[in-house]
Amino acid sequence: MKRTLSVLLLGLGVGLATHLAYFHYNEPAAGDSLDGHLAWMKRELNLSDAQYARIRDLHQESSPRLRELASEVAQLQAEFAAFENTRRTTDKVDFIEFAAFVELRRAINERCIASTRQLVLASADVMTPEQRAHYLGLVAPSESLHSSHN
Amino acid sequence: MNSSPDPLDPLLDRWADVPDPSPRLTSEVWRRIAEAEATAHRRTGLRAGIEAWFSRPSLAAMFVACCALLGLFLAEWRVNQVQRERSAQIARSYLLLIDPLLKANTVAHNP
Repeated sequence: MKRTLSVLLLGLGVGLATHLAYFHYNEPAAGDSLDGHLAWMKRELNLSDAQYARIRDLHQESSPRLRELASEVAQLQAEFAAFENTRRTTDKVDFIEFAAFVELRRAINERCIASTRQLVLASADVMTPEQRAHYLGLVAPSESLHSSHN
Repeated sequence: MNSSPDPLDPLLDRWADVPDPSPRLTSEVWRRIAEAEATAHRRTGLRAGIEAWFSRPSLAAMFVACCALLGLFLAEWRVNQVQRERSAQIARSYLLLIDPLLKANTVAHNP
């Protein structure tokens, strides 16, 4: 009886240890960095080393511009929220300021759309037709790829 | 002298007509006893069988190896699930990385 119990416990222990060790060594890494995203693309699209290097260069080149645009869009949204708040509280609309805001937003949106499209198309150019189709499917939810330039 | 009939009489008369026990009564009793003993024996036999099974080193080792394989299988299945979830999460995060408009809208909706 004691031996049976020992074997059962040993089996349970070995099974649990194997499970935890395997999971620990194979658990997918979480990475929100550009390198993490590129490593995911390499895996997901089965990119060759040359393709990966070219796509990494493209992303690294466009990354500062995209970050700057994101910060401009965020700033613009904050300004618009403040503008709206003023309009609601004072019930006055500065139409000149509003027109300037709309124009600025249109210009930034155009730059965002152009930058995103440029990066996506340049990356897709490096890929094989199958990889391209998969990649375009992955980036399909992007608003910039469906927006028009106005 | 009381001549009224006793109400118990008909009942006693009926009891007097008890039929003879079935000729299979004895055999049926022995069959049930044997069945009960066999069930008890089977229970102890199963436990003894398991103990005998685990007392053999080769079978005990096989059991432990099977547990390890089951652990591996479940871990692989779990890795696949996490991989799938992580992949969807990275895809969303990649879109935010390359699309400033989407990022701004997402931040605006989930500040």
